[in-house]
Amino acid sequence: MIEKDKLKDYARKLMFEMNEEEYETLQKEFEVILKQIALIDNIKGIKDVKPMTFPYIAYKATFREDEVKQEIDAEEVLSNTIHQYQDQVRVPKVVE
Amino acid sequence: MYKVVIGLEVHCELQTKSKNFSTAKNTFSSKPNENVMPVDLGLPGILPYVNKEAVYKAIKTAMALNCSIPDEVIFDRKNYFYPDLPKGYQITQVTKPVGRKGYLDIVVGDSIKRVDIHQLHLEEDTASLEHFNNFSLLDYNRSGIPLMEIVTEPCMESADEAIAFLETLRSVFLYCNVSEADSKKGQMRCDVNISLMKDTDTELGTKVEMKNINAFNKVRSSIEYEIKRQTAILEKGGKVEQETRRYSDEDEKTYAMRKKVDAIDYKYFIEPNLPPVKLTDSYLAEIKQEIPKLQHERIHIYTNTYGLSLYDANILAKEKEVSDYYNDVISYGTEEKMAANWVITVILGSLNKLNLTISEFKITPLMLANVLKLVNQNEISVNNAKKILYQAMDLNKDPMIIIKENNIKQIDDEEVLLPKVKEAIDENNDVYMQYLEGKDYVANFFIGKVMAKTNRQANPAITLKIVKEELERRKNSGN
Amino acid sequence: MEFTKMTIDDLKQQLNEAKISPKELYNTSLALSKKAHEKLNIFETIIDDFQMEDANSRISGIPYALKDNFSTKGILTTASSNILNGYIPVYDATVYKKLKEAGAVLVGKTILDELAMGGTGTTGHTGTVHNPWHMDRLMGGSSAGSAAAVASGIVPFAIGSDTGDSVRKPAALGGIVGFKPSYGRISRYGLFAFASSLDHVAYFTRCVKDSAILTNILKGQDEYDMTSLEDDNLDYTLTLNDDIKGKKLFYFKDICDPAYYPNSSDETMIETLTKFQETLDKCRKLGFIIEEVSFDKELLNAIYPTYMIISCAEATSNNANLTGIQFGPRGEGDSIDEIMLNARTKGFSELIKRRFILGSYILQKENQEKLFLNAARIRRLIVDKMTELFKTYDGLIMPASSNIAPKFNDSSDRLSEEYLILENHLAIGNFGGFPSITLPSGIVKEMPVAINITGPVFGDKDILNIAYKIEEILGFKGLVKDDFYV
Repeated sequence: MIEKDKLKDYARKLMFEMNEEEYETLQKEFEVILKQIALIDNIKGIKDVKPMTFPYIAYKATFREDEVKQEIDAEEVLSNTIHQYQDQVRVPKVVE
Repeated sequence: MYKVVIGLEVHCELQTKSKNFSTAKNTFSSKPNENVMPVDLGLPGILPYVNKEAVYKAIKTAMALNCSIPDEVIFDRKNYFYPDLPKGYQITQVTKPVGRKGYLDIVVGDSIKRVDIHQLHLEEDTASLEHFNNFSLLDYNRSGIPLMEIVTEPCMESADEAIAFLETLRSVFLYCNVSEADSKKGQMRCDVNISLMKDTDTELGTKVEMKNINAFNKVRSSIEYEIKRQTAILEKGGKVEQETRRYSDEDEKTYAMRKKVDAIDYKYFIEPNLPPVKLTDSYLAEIKQEIPKLQHERIHIYTNTYGLSLYDANILAKEKEVSDYYNDVISYGTEEKMAANWVITVILGSLNKLNLTISEFKITPLMLANVLKLVNQNEISVNNAKKILYQAMDLNKDPMIIIKENNIKQIDDEEVLLPKVKEAIDENNDVYMQYLEGKDYVANFFIGKVMAKTNRQANPAITLKIVKEELERRKNSGN
Repeated sequence: MEFTKMTIDDLKQQLNEAKISPKELYNTSLALSKKAHEKLNIFETIIDDFQMEDANSRISGIPYALKDNFSTKGILTTASSNILNGYIPVYDATVYKKLKEAGAVLVGKTILDELAMGGTGTTGHTGTVHNPWHMDRLMGGSSAGSAAAVASGIVPFAIGSDTGDSVRKPAALGGIVGFKPSYGRISRYGLFAFASSLDHVAYFTRCVKDSAILTNILKGQDEYDMTSLEDDNLDYTLTLNDDIKGKKLFYFKDICDPAYYPNSSDETMIETLTKFQETLDKCRKLGFIIEEVSFDKELLNAIYPTYMIISCAEATSNNANLTGIQFGPRGEGDSIDEIMLNARTKGFSELIKRRFILGSYILQKENQEKLFLNAARIRRLIVDKMTELFKTYDGLIMPASSNIAPKFNDSSDRLSEEYLILENHLAIGNFGGFPSITLPSGIVKEMPVAINITGPVFGDKDILNIAYKIEEILGFKGLVKDDFYV
């Protein structure tokens, strides 16, 4: 079984926390999922297949022309936060 | 003694109208959050869309750096949390960077060194964070600006080499017209990797990384400091720690930021919102054609083919626009050395005085070549040519028109000049007396007088000849 | 005819004949919305004032509902997650913009499984969405509110999103049509991303023709979505009635036959599958050639884990923007990490967190090859096999679900150890971006059951044609529970 501390570390890196009980549920869930996932490994010839990222590759897409179009202003940029100062989003001091 | 091994990661903002993945304006702006689209804020539901020009410029640079170009353009996500990264991931290229395995030849002292380029990829800039005493402020104007990252192999061995590389690289950016590459505006930024090893070692020493150094002189002093610091550690038998260090401007030292023990796993995967776009041979050929002769190639031609001094060649090739100007003047038939002299002294001198760039300059290469042709044909004097050019700049006029309007052509006709010479001698008998005493140099005095009488249009060479002949004639005839 | 049963065309006719005004139509819909919402819990936001752009289109004046994971400028959009409480978008999703410009009238934004990551309609932050056919049964998700809105007759159509089966499954459980066009046919710009390579805009309608009408309006290339396809400039309603004689359909052998489950005590499942076989017979009579195809069982079993792996991995990255810094509730704390951590800890439900951890685990350097890339390989195997089959067949016909809508207490979103192919095969349509439509095919135990037809990518027109003809013979057009408002 995957260690709880590992799961805690994963959560932390994803910027959230869970309670003990939730981690235990997750532990069990991991077991089930990893078992299912193991099925994939057994599929013959899998290693020779090219992974598929896009539903299809039609090579129809083209790049965008380099043209400027702006639809929102600074006020709208800040409209969803009260944490602002001098037209910027204010956050606790970021220490590098 | 230890051998120094330096690798550089150079970030350069590309010059485009809009951002890399959004249509917001790509500009260095002072008003916060004015050039932003939802994409640059990472708002729920946004999708990136690749800017053609950014790809074009990245590939152009990759080609100029002799990289191999992939068959298609795709992007990857680099996942990490940081407040200046609104989406929680940066769109970059890992799977298929637009350039791989290239090189750039640099001149260090009087030898040429080949710096191997590991890869060049296209990505996006982050938002900017400004730090205050107890808070920081986020401005999203920079978020999504196209950024090119060039990663060298660890192959440079001194600060000199690193600086020479950066300067040459910058000239490539400028010559290819892909970026202003102004480090003061943060458009060119550099991470330095440095390690020390014994001559007898076969493996590289422990790598220390210094992040985000903008100015080249800081790159130099940070490298010099690190060499000293790491040498001292090694000499005491210690071990250099693998870590990221910060360079401090104030005391020109570096300070540890974080240890590399817990390296971040960026969980890269292919960006599913950006379908691959094939790079056709014709498209690549088109880009290739757009790459101009680069700085070092031009310097080579200027010195070896045109016979210019290295000093002059460097001046002419410093900026592509100036070099193009010079090349244009030559293309209209002006002899190379003459063109070099005029461009350097008259043109660049004036630009400097007028505080103009050559693209703002009204005297075209053709205009200059036309004037120089007249000088060559002895139709106008050097001095007059200069005067006309300055006048042309002042009046914003074609110098040839000024010449026509003022009828400023050199007087070569001896029948016109001889009476003037005679007048000049007649009027200055005292000076003529000095000539009789053997002071040959007074001939110049009479030339000056003739010049004054002819509104400086007299051909100086012919005038000199006539003055000498007239003085001799008078002396011999005993007058 | 009652309003609740009317299709877009029916309503349009009423409008054209000036029997009713758009405003009155909206008011009717609004009144029903409030009633149904009270019973079923459908909406995040009910739009309490009539707003219609001056337009003349096949849907102008027609009321509709929109899933609350489409960005609507000036209208609260939460994706049914606390992490987006109070979030008022500053831009419009392309789909919303197109509907607005076509003169459609928004009645409400509908509840979904939190961040669209679920299939039950039980995990939205405002609670469970109920099935109008039976209050104790699931609507299914994630587009639960939109499904309930159409299934209860509030609106003739509602927009949802479909990443695994999030429209086509609840459509099945609600007795309505659910259509997911080809990937790229409709812009995703403004649809809150769950798994970008699987996400589709999809919709619920009362009949196949309405799905064609909507596709006409919504399709086309978008300057803000690089995966969007150039418009084929076809009117999909014109070919609905084309002759289907000789068209070939296939279904997966071994799993659709009740005989395959000799020991099953699940009566309704057996009845559902029996209904499916009856439907196939009807289709054959109509002129379809329908054949059993055996599809590598290992691959079919792999559909669910493959879907889980790809969707969770993409989701953990797609939702990394939800940090409460520039939008969304700000977390408390003195450091930047603390405020992000607190915002996300409070903002996401446990289920979402578990999915994210799984996704992140899948993407870790040491697991990528084995998990993420292997899933992507399976995806290719499945899609290639389907594409190969589509060379012979015009479509795949399957039961959309193995059963009627489950009761609340016998379902949860926790993963069961047995993967049920019948419950998960619809994800094939997302793997390959195939056009895929669910339509009601019968009633079992007073609950609707449905079939699904999936065709080759870009074959939207043909799939709609096939579905239209089948709908005709099945006769469940405009199906709605008769006594719902009594």
